[in-house]
Amino acid sequence: MIIEIRTKEKYAKNEEAGFIGRMAHAGLKVKAARLSRLYRVEAPFSRAEFGRLGADLLTDKITEHYSLSQWRPGLKKAWRVEVWLKDSVTDVVGESVKGAIADMLGKEPETVRFGHAYYVACESEVKLRHAVARTLVNETVNKFRIGKI
Amino acid sequence: MKDKLANFNSLPKKELEALDRAAGWSLNLTELSEVQRQFRKMGRQPARGELETIAQTWSEHCKHKTFSGPVIFRAGAKVKRYKNLFKETIVKATRSLNRKWCLSVFTDNAGIVEFGKTGKWGLAFKAETHNHPCAVEPYGGAETGVGGVIRDILGVGLGAKPVLNTDTFCFGRLDTKKRLPKNALAPGRVMRGVVEGVRDYGNRIGIPTAAGGLYFDDGYLLNPLVYVGCAGLIPVDKIGKRVIPGDLIVSIGGRTGRDGIHGATFSSANIDEETTASAVQIGHAVNEKKALDVLMRARDLGLYNAVTDCGAGGFSSAIGELGSETGARVRLDKALLKDTRIEPWEIWVSESQERMILSVPKAKLRRLAAILDAENCEYCVLGEFPGDGRLLVTHGEERIVDLPMAFLHGGVPNFEKPAEARKVKISCKPPAAPKGGYAKVLADLLAHPNVCSRHSVITQYDHEVQGGTVGKPLQGRYGDGPGDAAVIWPQAATLDLKDFSGFAVAHGFAPAVGRIDPYQMALHSIDEAVRNLLCSGADISRTAILDNFCAASPRDPRVMGDLVLAAEGCYDGAMAYGAPFISGKDSFYNQSRDADGKEYPIPISLLISATAPVEDVRRSVTMNFKEPGNPVFLAGVSLRGMGGAVYGEIIACANNAVAPLDMKAAVKLYSAIARAMRSGCVVAAHDVSQGGLAVTLAEMAFSGGLGAELDLTGASREDGLTPVELLFGESPARLVLEVDKSRETEFLRLVKGLPVAEIGRVNEEPELSVHDGGEALFSSDIGALKASWKKELI
Repeated sequence: MIIEIRTKEKYAKNEEAGFIGRMAHAGLKVKAARLSRLYRVEAPFSRAEFGRLGADLLTDKITEHYSLSQWRPGLKKAWRVEVWLKDSVTDVVGESVKGAIADMLGKEPETVRFGHAYYVACESEVKLRHAVARTLVNETVNKFRIGKI
Repeated sequence: MKDKLANFNSLPKKELEALDRAAGWSLNLTELSEVQRQFRKMGRQPARGELETIAQTWSEHCKHKTFSGPVIFRAGAKVKRYKNLFKETIVKATRSLNRKWCLSVFTDNAGIVEFGKTGKWGLAFKAETHNHPCAVEPYGGAETGVGGVIRDILGVGLGAKPVLNTDTFCFGRLDTKKRLPKNALAPGRVMRGVVEGVRDYGNRIGIPTAAGGLYFDDGYLLNPLVYVGCAGLIPVDKIGKRVIPGDLIVSIGGRTGRDGIHGATFSSANIDEETTASAVQIGHAVNEKKALDVLMRARDLGLYNAVTDCGAGGFSSAIGELGSETGARVRLDKALLKDTRIEPWEIWVSESQERMILSVPKAKLRRLAAILDAENCEYCVLGEFPGDGRLLVTHGEERIVDLPMAFLHGGVPNFEKPAEARKVKISCKPPAAPKGGYAKVLADLLAHPNVCSRHSVITQYDHEVQGGTVGKPLQGRYGDGPGDAAVIWPQAATLDLKDFSGFAVAHGFAPAVGRIDPYQMALHSIDEAVRNLLCSGADISRTAILDNFCAASPRDPRVMGDLVLAAEGCYDGAMAYGAPFISGKDSFYNQSRDADGKEYPIPISLLISATAPVEDVRRSVTMNFKEPGNPVFLAGVSLRGMGGAVYGEIIACANNAVAPLDMKAAVKLYSAIARAMRSGCVVAAHDVSQGGLAVTLAEMAFSGGLGAELDLTGASREDGLTPVELLFGESPARLVLEVDKSRETEFLRLVKGLPVAEIGRVNEEPELSVHDGGEALFSSDIGALKASWKKELI
């Protein structure tokens, strides 16, 4: 299960502007962007338990929303970029969350991995791929995929 | 590889070299031949684990073979031989100065000096580099750099409590036009990763990151430099440590995995297209915090006899170091692992993070275990220190390493390295007046990446945690001016809220000077660091310094020549300023090769980190103008020469002469200014460094929200000095002081006979006007100057 956490729209302007600036520096003109954090929790939990993790553990209720299915941000001509650490790389955030889940639910998930998703409205996937490789990921430690939304 | 290992002792030279490359040991042929000779003498073939142990122990990272080896230096007809360059320069200065307040130097994980008035505390200070890992994976590399230097402080004596982190970075220009090779990360990407790594580790572990710097030059495009430092407090009765035969070897903190295999030997290798993440570790600040908390409690209860950190080389290096006299029996099957697929020799050399090795008396293990359990900190007992001087490492029935410690630590062969002085053509042609006027140049200099505001980096760090950061990285009326030094009141360690003793930490760094004159680079760096301490009100008569050299491949005699000259500069500077080196580190092979085989070496780089006591932190001084009507003084003599100045990067300037440092005059001047500061006459002080005098004045003005009307007529200067050199030259040993107007007479008495000239007054009007006699040099609105300076770097 992937739990996706996003900043509420009224608080998200700074992170979006920062992201658009980074992409511009890499030569990509981005019309609009939304960002979210991803937690991949591998565990035989019920949907209600995953929901509890999203609502009570991983989300700041004042500034953030969570969802258990992939978010649809409503951008036109846009792609979703998902960035994770490779499975062989230690994921410190994932490990901490794993411990916190065990404390909260009384049962430990097999694995927790932490990643990012970027929803990007731009001209072309090729240019996006190039900009992502230049700024968002280090292919020595990261893996990423881009999908049309 | 197995076949070659089985016949190691009889391999011909070419095959030895091929094996070394395949295994990633970074041993040279002389060293490989010595290993062959030793094993032939023992009458057996080496095991893989033994070769790995030797490669780690003999690596440049662990043994510092270049700096502590013999060198023959040639400068024209002059020839000088060194048996041990490090001992004959850096260590020699410390030994000659023989300061009683130096409690531990060059023998442990960090240097220690006396701290405070009670005689109860020592201040441990160490700076490290983590350059190669950061070039490959900036975030993880920086995180583990910070984690590593914190562990040095935890592993000094019986453990010091960290109270300050420092960070100084060198990156390629963010606006570089140079085409990067395929394997290189863009400088912006490297910088973002490094800053985030330092931020996340420092903030999560709860240590303030409050001093450092940023430097941009395309010489660092493929080889960023990441200097990380840490200071901590230790009770003086906990400085000594000794492994007692019979003690248990206990590993606490993180588990062991395949991350970080060959980190130590990796730092002796060029970074190329083949470099992978296996040499990079990932940090876990929370695990290190658990180990920190355990150590502080267990130390005070006397539950262990010695401690050291697992750094480069992992168990191999840490246990080898602790057991260098007693020997060690290690059972690797007892290690706690992250990954069960790991080979025994990999467990032995893995550089997984956040591990500390303790030497624990058997009778105290139960009490130690109770603390470890209470702090939720994992541990394992790996074996014992037997006292027979033999290193025996096993995994089940398998023998991984069986070597005499004497061979491991004393067997590395060293050979004389040639060094030669580079020839640099010097032009002393006076710089012409700039076409756009001095005000335009000042605005451009303030916006230059090596001068502009670092707030977008600094504000990511928690510099307030522990509640003792008195001299902050951002200062002034609006909390955004560039501080000269961090002033720390370590009450979180001493727990004494009535004792206001503190210490200041500052840096000096001048690689642009080093390109022209490495000797002067060392002097300028020491001078800048001491001057920054002085500006904060520290007692510079008790300055202690760290040397951190970074250079390209020492196989190039010109690189070695730069190193020799810089080391000689360090000796002369330390002796003149009476400032002993207490610790240091060197990092070589900071050069990269692209797919076409082209080499990219860094310029010789020397970071001087300095610390000095602040008797009462409540009386420390900041850099911004404080009050209209107060007189402003320029201390020091402005010299000719634009060599190494930022000015040369924005305006073509043929003059590359470096203004030499007059150490004797500087020490005399600083002593008098220190007296004036102690007496309370000086209300603001700021050093003249990057960008020159005009930048210093502008920073003091806009950080205080006050202007100044200044006339430089009376300023001491070398004959023939041009206005460009006066305003934008970076000659050393100068600082600007604002003096309390009611105490001007007292101040003048204290600096009588010295090159200290009143140059004007602080003004309520937000205008910085500077004249030189009849000539109006510039007049600028301080708001506009600040707008030029306050760039977003990230």
